[in-house]
Amino acid sequence: MTLSLIEAALLVFVLGCALGAAVLRDVLASLMAFAAYSLGVSIIWVMLEAPDVGLTEAAVGAGIMTILFILALANTVRPQEDGLFESIHVRTVVLVGAFVVVMLATVPSLPAIGADGAANPVVSGEVTQYYIENAYADTEVHNAVTAVLAAYRGFDTLGEAVVVFSAGVAALTVLRQEVFA
Amino acid sequence: MSSDERERTGLYVESTIIMTTVRVVSPFVLTFALFVMFHGANSPGGGFQGGVIAGSVVMMLAFAYGIDAAREWLDVRVVAALASGGVLLFAAIGLGTMLLGGNFLEYHLYEQFLSHATAYGIELVELGIGGIVASVAIGLFFLLAAGFGHAVDSPEGES
Repeated sequence: MTLSLIEAALLVFVLGCALGAAVLRDVLASLMAFAAYSLGVSIIWVMLEAPDVGLTEAAVGAGIMTILFILALANTVRPQEDGLFESIHVRTVVLVGAFVVVMLATVPSLPAIGADGAANPVVSGEVTQYYIENAYADTEVHNAVTAVLAAYRGFDTLGEAVVVFSAGVAALTVLRQEVFA
Repeated sequence: MSSDERERTGLYVESTIIMTTVRVVSPFVLTFALFVMFHGANSPGGGFQGGVIAGSVVMMLAFAYGIDAAREWLDVRVVAALASGGVLLFAAIGLGTMLLGGNFLEYHLYEQFLSHATAYGIELVELGIGGIVASVAIGLFFLLAAGFGHAVDSPEGES
């Protein structure tokens, strides 16, 4: 697989931001690295032709999450500490390293980006082909993702929407508030 | 309450640049949110993404004009109605087809009342999701901004 210069730069940027979010000592700096990481990942999603996921990542990951984290931070005490980086424990490195190795072990079994036909079971799979062929006739929407989300798997989506609603109610309960504002 | 408010005003910086920018930009952001919600059927997007963008409009206003001012300006009944109304709308559309003798969310059973009922049904469901997500995002924002000062009886949590 060959990478274009932009793709390689993006990957390096995202990895750098992820590392920064993990090791930066100042919580606010770590948060900023996390937001930049989310933005980078959202561009990678668009590059991989998953614009729906990219839009969600940009809006939720880089936008709302950052704001909520900053608000939470504003309500806590930030310890004044010296040093730019967190001191790194060997045990943590071993644990995280093992996790990364396990995740990387799954990468070779993924189909190559843009592969077609039998080489890519995701695209050539029966279910995918069914959605691509019948989504417009069945649901009258062009975006197959929306067709799956709101029609074929509508019951799942109702569950997801109720989960979001319950999250709001749970926050109200935990903070002992009665209204949303 | 009062110590909390003092801290809030301490956080807020009144800036003409931010206020002007937000005043100009926010109508476009809201329009974009509605576009993402309505156009999710034919392009990337949908209720979840559009709802988050719509919720961010209120957060932008809060950053520009202060969280307390935004809290006073916002009608909590509208937020609560959007959240529960979204769930009710989605569930009603889904259960309606069961009343007509079909399965859950079998949109085409509505065709007898309305042509292109499937497309309209999906659009309404997306709007419902957008309402839920936007109002919960706004709600979490204000709840976190208020902090735990209201929840615990002693004001020790604030410093």
